[in-house]
Amino acid sequence: MRRGLTTGIVLAEARAMHPDLVTVPSDEAADARLLDALADMCQRYTPLVAVDPPHGILLDISGCAHLFGGEEALATDLTARLTRHGFVSRLAVAGTIGAAWAGARFAPALLDTDQEYDFLAPLPLAALRLKGATVAAMARVGLKRIGDILDLPRAPLAARFCVDLLRQLDRARGDEREPLNPLLPVAPYVADQPFHEPIAREEDVLRVVERLAARLETAMTARGHGARRIELMLFRTDGEVKRVAAGSSRPIRDPAAIRKLFVERLTALGDDLDPGFGFDLARLSVLNAERAPDEQIGLTGGEDNAALDLLVDRLSARLGPRRVTRLISHDSHLPECAAGTMPAQAMTAVALAPGWAAFRAFQTRAEAVPRPLRLLARPEPIEAMAGVPDGPPVRFSWRRASHRVVAAEGPERIEGAWWSEHDGPARDYFRVEDTEGHRFWVFRAGLYRDPDPNFEDDPVCEPDLQREMPRWFLHGMYG
Amino acid sequence: MDQSVMASIVRLKAAAARPAGDLGALRQAIRKLEAGALEDAFGMVPFGVPGLDAALGGGLARGALHEIAATRESDIPAATGFGLALAFLAGSEQADRAAQRAVIWIAEDMALTESGLPYGPGLDAHGLPPERLITVAVAHSRDVLWAMEEALRSSAVGVVIGEVRGARLDLVATRRLTLAAAGHGALGLMLRAAPDPEASAAATRWIVGAAPSVLAHGPGPPRVHAQLTRNRRGHLGSWTLEWNADHERFTTHSQPVPAASVHRPARAAVA
Repeated sequence: MRRGLTTGIVLAEARAMHPDLVTVPSDEAADARLLDALADMCQRYTPLVAVDPPHGILLDISGCAHLFGGEEALATDLTARLTRHGFVSRLAVAGTIGAAWAGARFAPALLDTDQEYDFLAPLPLAALRLKGATVAAMARVGLKRIGDILDLPRAPLAARFCVDLLRQLDRARGDEREPLNPLLPVAPYVADQPFHEPIAREEDVLRVVERLAARLETAMTARGHGARRIELMLFRTDGEVKRVAAGSSRPIRDPAAIRKLFVERLTALGDDLDPGFGFDLARLSVLNAERAPDEQIGLTGGEDNAALDLLVDRLSARLGPRRVTRLISHDSHLPECAAGTMPAQAMTAVALAPGWAAFRAFQTRAEAVPRPLRLLARPEPIEAMAGVPDGPPVRFSWRRASHRVVAAEGPERIEGAWWSEHDGPARDYFRVEDTEGHRFWVFRAGLYRDPDPNFEDDPVCEPDLQREMPRWFLHGMYG
Repeated sequence: MDQSVMASIVRLKAAAARPAGDLGALRQAIRKLEAGALEDAFGMVPFGVPGLDAALGGGLARGALHEIAATRESDIPAATGFGLALAFLAGSEQADRAAQRAVIWIAEDMALTESGLPYGPGLDAHGLPPERLITVAVAHSRDVLWAMEEALRSSAVGVVIGEVRGARLDLVATRRLTLAAAGHGALGLMLRAAPDPEASAAATRWIVGAAPSVLAHGPGPPRVHAQLTRNRRGHLGSWTLEWNADHERFTTHSQPVPAASVHRPARAAVA
């Protein structure tokens, strides 16, 4: 800037002015990530933070400023923090987003309430967040400052330039409400704890979690709520923010239980929770709250379910919710689709029962061949030899071991739904037992067929297509 | 002669004169002290096979850890079936299916890819309602032991099945699991891909392999060859068991093999 360079200048021109200029291609994605990280850091001041790309961050500090000793102290603190991390920042506090935006870019200031009118008047029209073309068009007719249009009749202005002009003006003056679009939804319950001396040890973090949870418990009990999903935000002294979330399968508010969830989460994170030079602020927010009846003790079965939920929560917190699952039944004939898994945290045994009851009813009616105990994630191809084209295999080899079949049951033909093309050819399933008593569920995909007479004389058609050989697969094992 | 020496001689003579039945009682008392009254506190899971239950002193002890090893890699499904049948028997005395305690099946991702995932319709046909099962897939072998211990400590869990492939199982690890199981009386079953000669604190150790079934228009009810190679309460033996899913019980058609009188290390038993 000091040497006559401005943004938007052509590179060749800049190089002509300063041959020793070092250029770095701009990386917009990285800039956006940095802005997001900075916005995260600003969460320490207020939960309502929005990014305003490419360079802006908006903070709604209504009702938060007094926690930091007033607006001025907050602004000083924020500027100091940004400067410490090596950023040049310009900051304005105003009653509307529009005025604050204009202030930060054209005249950094801390405005009191109802000063917007006087403050905006001397600023250039570009401070109204208008398109470049609109500003240029207005400049041509001599309108350069906001004060120039404040007293003009509105209808001709809108007709001559654009409707957006009036809206931005109204928003800047506070005549029209403008919502802030925060990065994160505001959690229903939040508690935080700043530290004069940064903390780094895991035990300290957990102790803080319990203390914060105790504060949340009071608030949640008052409204009869419990937490289903809780997030711990740890603000590192160097500006980075660590987020650790934990879920529970029933609404909880007991601080000890919340602490236990985070014990597992922090263990699972291990070194990923890099405290650096320590955390100077911890925040515990309840992301999902649900109605939780007061503890009922003594009802039969209730304690057992509670204990199971607790176990599921601990396992899910450490291993991940998708790794702790319950088996569900689907209405499908394809074996790999007939059963699935659901995170155990999302399901209770009671909710599962109807699906399996329906499955049992169907199974008794259909008298299907028993299903294997263990199903391979995807059927594995085997080399099989069948005695008759539609019969079971006589011997087959799987994973380099050869098996001679002594008994077989089947076939059970399973075809995909007629409307689906992904299900592949019809399968004939057999339950077979080999000489040693191992039992397998094997199938033949496709049928042994004579060559299609329609294709036989067609010299264009590939011979493979004329007579596609069926393939054999092994799908599961019986106990 | 000294008075005290005289007294001890008299006591010894009295002891020698006691009938053999007393000695048996004494042994039983010692065994009870050793095996820990803890295990007995939760009762047994009977197989329903008289000779086998007698050898075990009534059945498989709850609140303890039992090792089930597949004879070979290819016998893992048979060992799984054996373990699941025991899981069913452990909950069968409660008529109400919903009231039965949960079964937790913990396995490494690798084991599930190699030997297949638990399949609900198949479990149901085998006798175990899929609603009772919670499956836990872990990425690291050490997490299997951690998850097993957590599950065994829970009062809501009836049976914990852990497929332990990679993790080294030493005396300390198995002792920890045994103590965890003793808390609330859960039945701990460890599925191993092959017999393990390592010392273990498990109450019983089994080597299970598939056995040819009685054929009748196709494969008959599943049969396994179960070899008891470690038993803290009685003698060892070997049985061919048939699991009848319709009647939900084990039967045996062959006489038990005369039990080996000495404890043999697992490796010798396989050779």
